[in-house]
Amino acid sequence: MFNLLKRLSRGKVDETSRPSSQVEFLKDFLSKHNYIFSNDFEENLEILKKKHLVDSFIVTNFDGSVVVTSEDSSQNDGIMGTAMLSYIKSEIPTSEAVLIKKEDGWIMLFTLLQKVFIVNAGSELSNIELKALALELGILLEENKNNLFEKNMVKG
Amino acid sequence: MARIITIASGKGGTGKTTVTANLGICLSRLGKKVLLIDADVAMANLSLILGMQSSPITLHDVLLGEAQVHDAIYDGPEKLHFIPSGLSLDNYKRVDSERLSSIVNELNDNYDFILLDAAAGIEKNVLSAFSASQETLLVTMPTSPAIADALKTKLVAQRIGNKVIGVVINFVMGEKGEINKNETASILELPIYGVVPYDPEVRKSFMQQKVAPVSIRKPDSPAALEFKKLASRLIGLKVQDVQVKKQGLFSRILSKFKKKG
Repeated sequence: MFNLLKRLSRGKVDETSRPSSQVEFLKDFLSKHNYIFSNDFEENLEILKKKHLVDSFIVTNFDGSVVVTSEDSSQNDGIMGTAMLSYIKSEIPTSEAVLIKKEDGWIMLFTLLQKVFIVNAGSELSNIELKALALELGILLEENKNNLFEKNMVKG
Repeated sequence: MARIITIASGKGGTGKTTVTANLGICLSRLGKKVLLIDADVAMANLSLILGMQSSPITLHDVLLGEAQVHDAIYDGPEKLHFIPSGLSLDNYKRVDSERLSSIVNELNDNYDFILLDAAAGIEKNVLSAFSASQETLLVTMPTSPAIADALKTKLVAQRIGNKVIGVVINFVMGEKGEINKNETASILELPIYGVVPYDPEVRKSFMQQKVAPVSIRKPDSPAALEFKKLASRLIGLKVQDVQVKKQGLFSRILSKFKKKG
């Protein structure tokens, strides 16, 4: 009664109430988007895919040799992507990235850190997003340089 | 080296531009060299809030490579500097907002703070602002849709490599149904930099012959005082926490008498 009188004295009644289920939903939302990297390189590649909203990526040297890939069989894609990017860059030297629209998504080709990045995703990413992915990949590659070298030696 | 901070929210109408303008003014009053950039190239209105809508050279011209960045810098209120975006729709589709980074870098050494007023949403123009700055301050309202959008904006900014430093909760009325300061901090996992009360004086600032932000027009109004505290927090000064308190009928009558006295 006192509270009601108090509220009335303020000139209006507060008819609102805390949307508790929505608060819980929002609290849960962030926990699903926490990207914590581990010591496992392959696992970290999966985390990067989720974080940057891409389906797969391949990193190659300029000669087409694959440095790292999120997929198993991508040697051909790596060579083809690198050749295509190299051709377009020779025709349009100021080009920064090549975006190819597929029926079910996009392929994006670009170079950074002396490497070629070939990214597959459901929607096209801006240059800023592609660079952010490439930079994080670059850090992961640097951290795992020795492991990758050993792995390639075994494969070779 | 300037601290380059993007003011973003995700949701439209949370008061990003009002926060940017007033925060800039308060930082400038604290002796900092401040540059405000209207990074909302599609829906620019920082110039309207600052009362500086007739600026011939804009960020559009600089992004299009048709003007030098120094020619687009104007003197704003309280000694702050300001780069407006074009209000016309003609150029904005031609503008490459990704060039914003290089423009901001060019000005880095001349200021203590560069504040970028970002667009709503998480599209390319907003990403450009994140990419051009190191830090982001989120502006939200004490409601679930606004906080949900702030959450998504935080994730996008982090994906680009930007550091989200905190949150400003705007339009706080102290109603029971509002998501309070502690809950907002917990949901967003970020510190709260400011709790700005709903203040009719902010709205009235746009309804004047000469438009000026509330920190200039009514520096003692509740919102203006909170903007002052926000600026102090940003430069690391200690400030007392704000209590959003509703005025009762009796205190309102009393304050009227006090004013007359």
